[in-house]
Amino acid sequence: MRIVIAGAGEVGTHLAKMLSNEEQDIIVVDKDEKKLYNLENYNLMTMQGSAVSLDVLKSIQVGVADIFIAVTPHETINVIASSMAKSLGCKKAVARIDNFEFMKPASKKFFSSYGIDTLIYPEYLAAIEVKTAMQHPWARNWFEMLNGELVLAGVKVRDNARIVGHKLKDLSGISSFMHVNAIKRNREIIIPGGNDEVLHNDIIYVATTPRNIDDVIAICGKINHRVESVLIMGGNEIVKQLAELICQDYKVKIMHSDLARCQELADELPDCNIVHYEAGNTDVLEDEGVEDYDVFVALGDSSESNILSCVMAKELGMRKTIAQVENLQFVNEAESLNIGTIINKKLIASSTIFQMMIDADTETSKSLALADAEVAELEVGAGAKVTKAMVKDLRLSRDMTIAGLVRNGEGLLVTGDTQLQAGDRVVVFCLAGAIHKIEKMFG
Amino acid sequence: MHMMMRHRTFSKTINFPIVLRVVGWLLMIESLFMIAPLLVSLIYGEKWEAICFAVSVVITLVVGLFMNYRIKPSSKAMRKREGLLLTATTWVFFSIFGMIPFLMSGTVTGITDGFFETMSGFTTTGASVIKDIEALPRGILFWRSMMQWIGGMGIILFTLAVLPMLNYKGGVSLFNSEVTGITHERMRPRVSQTAKSLWAIYLVFTVVLALLLGFGPMGWYDAICHTMSTVSTGGFSTKNNGLHYWHDYYSDIVIMIFMLVCGINFTIIYKVAVQGKFNEIKRSDTLKWYLGIVIVGSIVVFARIAYMSFVDTWHFGAILAAFDTISAITSTGYATYNYEREGQFIFFFLMLLMFFGGMAGSTAGGAKIDRLVVLLKNVKNELYKVVHSSAVTAVRLDGKSIPHMVVEKILAFLSIYVVVMISVAVMLTLFGLPAFDALFNSLSAISNIGFGYGEMTGGDDKFAMIPDACKWILALEMLIGRLEVFTVLALFSPGFWKKD
Repeated sequence: MRIVIAGAGEVGTHLAKMLSNEEQDIIVVDKDEKKLYNLENYNLMTMQGSAVSLDVLKSIQVGVADIFIAVTPHETINVIASSMAKSLGCKKAVARIDNFEFMKPASKKFFSSYGIDTLIYPEYLAAIEVKTAMQHPWARNWFEMLNGELVLAGVKVRDNARIVGHKLKDLSGISSFMHVNAIKRNREIIIPGGNDEVLHNDIIYVATTPRNIDDVIAICGKINHRVESVLIMGGNEIVKQLAELICQDYKVKIMHSDLARCQELADELPDCNIVHYEAGNTDVLEDEGVEDYDVFVALGDSSESNILSCVMAKELGMRKTIAQVENLQFVNEAESLNIGTIINKKLIASSTIFQMMIDADTETSKSLALADAEVAELEVGAGAKVTKAMVKDLRLSRDMTIAGLVRNGEGLLVTGDTQLQAGDRVVVFCLAGAIHKIEKMFG
Repeated sequence: MHMMMRHRTFSKTINFPIVLRVVGWLLMIESLFMIAPLLVSLIYGEKWEAICFAVSVVITLVVGLFMNYRIKPSSKAMRKREGLLLTATTWVFFSIFGMIPFLMSGTVTGITDGFFETMSGFTTTGASVIKDIEALPRGILFWRSMMQWIGGMGIILFTLAVLPMLNYKGGVSLFNSEVTGITHERMRPRVSQTAKSLWAIYLVFTVVLALLLGFGPMGWYDAICHTMSTVSTGGFSTKNNGLHYWHDYYSDIVIMIFMLVCGINFTIIYKVAVQGKFNEIKRSDTLKWYLGIVIVGSIVVFARIAYMSFVDTWHFGAILAAFDTISAITSTGYATYNYEREGQFIFFFLMLLMFFGGMAGSTAGGAKIDRLVVLLKNVKNELYKVVHSSAVTAVRLDGKSIPHMVVEKILAFLSIYVVVMISVAVMLTLFGLPAFDALFNSLSAISNIGFGYGEMTGGDDKFAMIPDACKWILALEMLIGRLEVFTVLALFSPGFWKKD
């Protein structure tokens, strides 16, 4: 695919690197040549210039591009650039926005009339991810398909879990209600075979159906605590979106170090408690009574302090912590420090793009971005390679697996004997670098 | 996502097995290239040379296969170091195997001469240790020219174009370390596509020039050989007197035009010829400088020739002036006419052009005009700052401001280039070369020109007389020049080999 990315900021750079490693044809446009120099050692082409310049767009032949992604820091430029790219002949256009109003269904029509197919609002998506993580505090990652007909959950298992110490092929007796798709161990995700064993401290990614969730919680040695109150640290846009999403159902307290921003939040969020604290006050967690809350969410601007606050909250007895970690290098560190769920805007944005690449229908499809893998749903096309044989005979490469499927509105687990049919919606769990293979299998 | 990749492939030492394995692949490609001179030998009934080439093909192929199949790297990781090492060693390996036909057929005696001749070929320098070229069999001469043709656009670049194997992240550092220029601009999204386009342009030039020369007075065999050494701006000829042998304006002018074109950045040629972006010509400062220097240079040389009455007719003088200027600036170094006869001024004047050479991203050698332009513009800014000490300035090239970081790199490049050139010259004087001869031969090697000057190397660019040690030094210098200094010099820095 030929993909044009306008804006070599954090998100754009991440997308460019990821997609070029996925063997896509990437062209990155940015006004600032210095940002483009950072991409010199990647297999892609750069173009210095404005994303809203017709000359620039024409010279990179945006007309033959498959996807145009506008992720500059400016919403208006993104919208205009996407619209221009689309009118020049690009197949799909995506714009990053930072305005909740645009996400409303009524706005969608407006934007599609301008040629923009998808709007990405990473802050809003991040808020939704935090909310999902709060609702399922026992899981690290939670992904559900088609109104929850099929669930994929990432769970950290410890010695107390019954599943630990068993080979996967022996598990079918005690846990036929779930399917282990992937195991993250020592910072590496593996797609396991029957002889692989689940070990202490693994994060396992299991697919299951909604009625069996309690069994999964039990076998993984987890308890599903009720969540009633949330303590949030930070004052950025994600915090605001999150507060608006959850303030009706949960007791919410927001702590932030910038007084002016606190006032703004207080003006806009009447149902939340807003607390201002002096930056550098390390006792603030104890002072604010962290033990009275069920979930701690650190959404500050610095990944390091988010991680550290979560570690501190853990020490003070917090069961579930959620941290925003924007430095990708820190994601694995944070996971090994037992932070419950990691939020990363870049991964969220890239998984949306990835979803667009593999599936035409993005309206209802969802995806989940992990640090080194992608989870996405897609529909099996008629005559696709995967429909030709049973899963065990498909010779799927070792870096991807079919996690589950929904057929006729019912969620099913996938085993070696499953035969996929055209029209099935499947969840694919795919390691980084293997995403381009999906097209060959399902197209 | 990249975390895992890095973690999985993390190792403390350089991954030699993968480097050797890829070199094995590349040797297999070289053996295929050698089939061409084998066929030429067969066509002209040169039995012994045909056997020599056949043996060379087999040896190279077997070694390549062996390296490719017997070396099993535990990790396929190819990072920056492996990329640099691979690029540099590939050129050395190509020279080692490329000299087998010369040694077997008795064209040269000894490994020193063989390596010098082959390295001179692949780096498109065109300096030769062979005294009587005309006496050589046709297959051998064909291989000499073909080496230049392969090296002109680049060995690695060819592989990137034809083999998908290198088309991953590691391939990018290979591309960057072989393609000349400041920023290694790509004209298509993937490196393999860019490499394909560059080679496609190169092939078109080759075919067109071969046809133009072939229908001229040269004859097809000489036309093809000269085509290959012209589009690569290499400079190997098939005659002792070079183009002078034919005394023919038509061939001279056609070759002159193609030398000039092949000294232009191929990316600009692609944009203009394939994408139809004619405003690229207007936009490129470097192209204007290049053509401007060629025109001014030709006029200066012509004026001197006319003033000193070196030649009998004005048109011969004009062609002589233009040809010499272009041959020097593109680092082709065709020994059409005898420079010493033209006098010291012209000689010295052309040295300046040789130093900077053609445009980055072309097949020409030298330090590249792009860097000269940046240097001069930076000097202009610095002079301005002498008076206006708090001025904030920018170096602009092709309508864009160049980041200071890049300007610094260019200045460092030029300094190192000069340091290498002078150091080698000093070493050459150790072996008895006169000071000026040493300096000139050193420049000739690092800029991949191939002219020789002085008692030992002068006349028809024969390097046969110089001591063996000098030949090794010059061969290495040619490689340093071809890969634009940093790639090779990095291998000599302790930091490259140190564990980190």
